[in-house]
Amino acid sequence: MPDTYNITLEISRYDPESHLSWVQTYQVEAGGILRFVDVFRKINDEQDPTLAWASSCEHAQCGSCGIMVNGKPLLACELLVREAVDQFNTHTFRIKPITIAPVLRDLVVDLEKAYDRVHAAKPYLMKPAPAPPEGDEYRISPETLETYVEATQCINCFCCATACISSHHHFLGPNAMMSNIVRLMDPRETEKKERMDLLYGESGVYRCHTARACSFVCPKEIDISHFLALGKEGKF
Amino acid sequence: MGENLTIDSTVTCDVLVIGAGGAGLRAAAYIGEQRPGTKIIALTKVVSPQKSHTTTAQGGMAAVDPKDPIDKPIFHMFDTWKGSDCSADQNVIKKVCELGWEEMVWLERHGMHFSRTEEKRIAKRPFGGHMLNFGETKAFRACYEASRTGKGIMDTVWNESLKHGVTFIGQCVATELLFKEDTCVGAIIFRFPDGTFSAILAKTTIVATGGNAKMYLVTSNCRGNTGDGLALTLDAGLPVMDLEAVQFHPTGMVGPGILASEALRGEGAILRNKDEEPFMERYAPTAKDLAPRDLISRAIITEFREGRGLFHEGHKAHHVWLDLRHLPKEVHEKKIQEVSSFFKRFVGVDPEKDLCPVTPTAHYQMGGIPTNEFGEVQKDPQTIVPGLFACGEVATASLHGLNRLGTNSLLELITMGRVIGDKVVEHLKDAPEPEGPPSDAGHIVFNQFSTYLASQGTESFAKIRDTLQNLMMEKVGIFRTEKHLLEAIEKLKELREKAQHIPIGTTSLKANQNLWQIWELNNLITVSMVIAHGALARKESRGAHFREDYPERSAEFDYHTFVYMPEFDKITFGKRPIDMSIFEAKGEHFELFDYIERKY
Repeated sequence: MPDTYNITLEISRYDPESHLSWVQTYQVEAGGILRFVDVFRKINDEQDPTLAWASSCEHAQCGSCGIMVNGKPLLACELLVREAVDQFNTHTFRIKPITIAPVLRDLVVDLEKAYDRVHAAKPYLMKPAPAPPEGDEYRISPETLETYVEATQCINCFCCATACISSHHHFLGPNAMMSNIVRLMDPRETEKKERMDLLYGESGVYRCHTARACSFVCPKEIDISHFLALGKEGKF
Repeated sequence: MGENLTIDSTVTCDVLVIGAGGAGLRAAAYIGEQRPGTKIIALTKVVSPQKSHTTTAQGGMAAVDPKDPIDKPIFHMFDTWKGSDCSADQNVIKKVCELGWEEMVWLERHGMHFSRTEEKRIAKRPFGGHMLNFGETKAFRACYEASRTGKGIMDTVWNESLKHGVTFIGQCVATELLFKEDTCVGAIIFRFPDGTFSAILAKTTIVATGGNAKMYLVTSNCRGNTGDGLALTLDAGLPVMDLEAVQFHPTGMVGPGILASEALRGEGAILRNKDEEPFMERYAPTAKDLAPRDLISRAIITEFREGRGLFHEGHKAHHVWLDLRHLPKEVHEKKIQEVSSFFKRFVGVDPEKDLCPVTPTAHYQMGGIPTNEFGEVQKDPQTIVPGLFACGEVATASLHGLNRLGTNSLLELITMGRVIGDKVVEHLKDAPEPEGPPSDAGHIVFNQFSTYLASQGTESFAKIRDTLQNLMMEKVGIFRTEKHLLEAIEKLKELREKAQHIPIGTTSLKANQNLWQIWELNNLITVSMVIAHGALARKESRGAHFREDYPERSAEFDYHTFVYMPEFDKITFGKRPIDMSIFEAKGEHFELFDYIERKY
């Protein structure tokens, strides 16, 4: 396996001053172990300081760096150059911002707007159960926790919402709806009615067409569609 | 361009939280819960508080249930004091350790998804430097949520802040603190998306901007941890304290420096050198792989220097091995799932089968904005700044002194956030409405931004950043000497000058990443200068600060270092005594809280 790769990135650009959009091509020689965020930094350093891209933790724990690579939403910090070449079987990558929120500049989208969907799902305990009679923390068995713990790993990167055919219309989105479902499964939540109204309301889980793209693209490998299916089943 | 910069809008509120991470939002959630209707604005550099760096903390949060039949809060206090190499403040140690369990229960009852024991209780694991019976054997004290405890905490305080109507403003930075006479009345903020400046006038301002380790080449810190809160404070003529105390976490993954949590060693992982010898047995015969971080980081560098390290060809970096192969499958899959996956993805090794390459990574700033035990910011050891608070990594009260124990930072975020919340609720009872912004509001930031925007220079941003990161790693890192520190200070002056002459890619203020990063780079250079000066002045070795030319702790330096730097390189020092109130109270075991020898 070669150590370095000559790759071509065709990146969607957008300038908020002129409102012009274009596609710019960058040729980069990159080590196979570099992540796509490292490649963007390399472009800033060596070719073009104006290219804007988002990231924060850069190890798949915050979900700030979602982009589309050859049509697939993913985290730029998690994609290694050699894996990209392998996975997409090409050295040319068409890179676009994710489509769930308006573009601010180049690959940076206004995820604050996307987060409104998560806020609407009220991810907190709306009405916590009374304090446990034994005092201290609520007692939850590992078996109960096991039924929903996978869904609590969601970092709201919106890759699933970008891949989802319904999120672009009326559906609140897979990640937002899953956070509602987590609280329906959480034995500490007593506000069932408002949660069920959210689940089956106008933007609720029946907007989902079960294409299962969410599970397919999730960087945290959460089987989101499983939780949406539990939501449709409605046995809480 | 510069003369066109203006304050585009003015907003008033009761509480302004600068930095919406674990500490800032614990304060916000507390205020929202206790005083409904309080107008709270929380700023974050990232898009949502959920994406704060707190979310990357892995291993756990230390807390002792006072009803625990085996572990006791006094053991935790002792470990923290000993871990700090006798430089933490005992009033703060006592307060934080005693509040810990109550706060743990608060997090759980507000929805945090802790891992569970068979008895359905919060699960706990051992961690470095946390021991039973004053150093005898490891304690199960770190309450955890798999290997994503920070995410659990962050989600909970973010959720609770949301529930109590806190207004979040994302993708923005505070660029200047505002004062009327000596009282802090808010801050000027700059918003990334539309490039506008706003004055936020507040009855109370809480600085909670987090860490600053991005001046080091290998670091576990996120992209935005550039010391903005410290630079903001220094610009205001206020002091910072103990910045020379930079923690290197011994086990960063070779390459990007991503953290391989101490939880791995808590679960039984072993450090090995190139001969696969478990070398920590030689350096810390009792605590071994669970010795505190400063000790292990120095042990690893010593292994490198004595030819027992290894070299990673792909990343061109020295390393030792972390051995997880003997841990049960169940541990790999359930308890350390995230970290295991990071090794697979970013380093290409499978911890169940392969040895994992690790190297020390710049991780945590023990020092910060000096506060008293209530989180009130000090302008000198006797005087507070009315209306201004600080908590979290950017602040120092000081719980950690010159070395922090793992899992004590999450504990500090949450307890000090709540302590500040309490103080703010009291402060708001008779705080006056903020009037208009001071007449000179914006003068600091407009000056900085116009310089960056007008620059036609030829200096390279990348070159300055790379030079800075290599310089700090080599000369102001784990081992320090006077010669290297003096060289670093000279070089930093040069870098500071160069950083004023970076050509700007675009002068548009909207989503201008280039401008934003030049501002960050200047903050990093400012903070680096203070670290280097602090390290030069402290002619001893204590905790994470190690001077090869002064390898012992010295009673002469039994104090905290205050540094003022209102202008670059114009340094004034001050001293703050170490609080010894547990020792002075002469209660049971008080003698252990004297300046004791530190062995593990």
